[in-house]
Amino acid sequence: MLNITKTVEGEKTVFSVEGRLDTNTAPEMEKAIRETIPEAREIVIDFEKLDYISSAGLRVLLSAHKAMSSGGTLRISNVNQPITEIFEVTGFSEILNIG
Amino acid sequence: MNDKREGAVRAALSGRIDSGNASVIEAELRGQLEGHAGEPVILDAEKLEYISSAGLRVILRLVKEHRDLRVVGVSSEIYEIFEMTGFTEMMTVEKAYRTVSVDGCEVIGEGFNGKVYRIDRDNVVKTYKNADALAEIRHEREVAKLALILGVPTAISYDVVRVGDSYGSVFELLNARSFTKILIEEPERMDFCVREYVKMLKKIHSIAVPEGKLPKIKEKVLCAVRRVKDTLPEGLGDKLLGMVEAIPDSDRMIHGDCHTKNIVLAGDEVLLIDMDTLSVGDPIFEFLYMYNAYVGYSEYDPGIVLDFQGYDAKTAREFWHRTLAAYFETDDEDAINAVEEKIRCLAYPYLLDWSARHPGHDKEKEKATADLWRSRLVELLGRVDDLDLGAVAAAGRDPDELNIEAATDNLDEVINFVNEKLETCDCSPKAQMQMDLAVEEIFVNIANYAYAPDKGRATVRVEVSDEPVTVTITFIDRGVPYDPLKKDDPDVTLPAGEREVGGLGIFLTKQIMDDLSYEYRDGQNILTLKKKL
Repeated sequence: MLNITKTVEGEKTVFSVEGRLDTNTAPEMEKAIRETIPEAREIVIDFEKLDYISSAGLRVLLSAHKAMSSGGTLRISNVNQPITEIFEVTGFSEILNIG
Repeated sequence: MNDKREGAVRAALSGRIDSGNASVIEAELRGQLEGHAGEPVILDAEKLEYISSAGLRVILRLVKEHRDLRVVGVSSEIYEIFEMTGFTEMMTVEKAYRTVSVDGCEVIGEGFNGKVYRIDRDNVVKTYKNADALAEIRHEREVAKLALILGVPTAISYDVVRVGDSYGSVFELLNARSFTKILIEEPERMDFCVREYVKMLKKIHSIAVPEGKLPKIKEKVLCAVRRVKDTLPEGLGDKLLGMVEAIPDSDRMIHGDCHTKNIVLAGDEVLLIDMDTLSVGDPIFEFLYMYNAYVGYSEYDPGIVLDFQGYDAKTAREFWHRTLAAYFETDDEDAINAVEEKIRCLAYPYLLDWSARHPGHDKEKEKATADLWRSRLVELLGRVDDLDLGAVAAAGRDPDELNIEAATDNLDEVINFVNEKLETCDCSPKAQMQMDLAVEEIFVNIANYAYAPDKGRATVRVEVSDEPVTVTITFIDRGVPYDPLKKDDPDVTLPAGEREVGGLGIFLTKQIMDDLSYEYRDGQNILTLKKKL
């Protein structure tokens, strides 16, 4: 289960995600981001309530990051310790804007 | 105006009955019923145009004196008045039947008991061969209503009509396709059909039916066994009877004729239809009828299933076999075979009884068919000693193992299974998340690639050992041989632009777990993951 709450503040869009970002929920996340990319200059994904991420979730973050790098920024905030470790192991902590 | 047909006094209601004439009508009725106190009464409402509450009160007073009072021939408008005022709950109110002609109508279905015609754009009528089908129709409506209330998606007829000399029940036309049709037109969707079919079977088999609402199927089968047992060699008949008697009574719902013509897809909803055989009993009785529909009837002449279902005997057998595997959650052929043998011990007596009671014209073929059934039954009775499917299913299933269709839809079930096993050891939330991650990556890989473009099953085994506490998770599939450990690790130092989207799953699993090993043995990919806690 993944709950996605979207808040728009001008050109900044914040997605607060809660639950699990896995094979079955990643498509929802991808769709939500894809719909926002054309209108947002800054996308923040708030991981405070995210418990779990798998490679399917990582793939969504990577493609969103690539799509945003041309004209905006993507930032991941409030990442918990276990997910931080996954970002580190996979080199994502070097790629993504985290914090 | 009264006669004593059907052992009841008849009287007619006609025109308008309201406060203006209710007392006059009451006096007339009482005159006609005089001398029949307490006897059953039929009030014929065919010519009744309107009835107000004053008129209803007249009927109410008559019901108090004649407990068995029925109002018949009621028009739809008047029926509504009876229904709204609660009279239909207090007494029998029968609607007048509309007459429908099916001349020239398209036949959209044909079963053992009658045909289904499309009568206009939105409606179909199901007709019955039996001229006195009214009781049958009522029964089917009652059980369909009961099933719906108990949570089974089904279609209920909304009207009963006269068709020629018999009756028919009218259904809203569903934009539905039977699973039979799907299997013929889109054989590649067999997986879907098996999955939905098993889901439906498990659903109805989990529903407890209130006592007395449905017949007990065990009694019906016992009757057949008693009729057949003396045609079996000495001792075997009694052994069979004893085994059937030992099947525990159950209040669980059984469809009783659950083959692919009776399960339909309407939009994305799966419905069960033809509810007239609904009963209660142990699921083995359901399988008896299923086995016969797919295999039993056509064991001597495989053409029979093709005639009845429109798909060939090979398809029928495959569908049946996969249904058993999915229902009993195993792909262990020995376990499936053991289950099937028990089912066949019930299926053959039923077929032998059926054949003895439905003689046809081809005596020679009938005898050959019955001889084949009987010889197979005799052979089975030599080695099968009980009809307890639960025991076989449980023995074939290891509590540390989950056998499941490898589909991403089942991911949550797999994760839940693993987490339940992990509850027994003191596992930190972080270790649990890592374990979930490894399980997801491997299971999703199997789901997406092992059997593509087909579907297949996977086994997940979880073991926890002590000192140091170690979790071992094993994945087994029968798909294409593939060693995921041979896959090159992605370069995790590359900048975003050069990183490929994908290839991370196995890499992550390797990082998280302490040990991974792969082997291909007996046609199975076996991947074992270990982690110390």
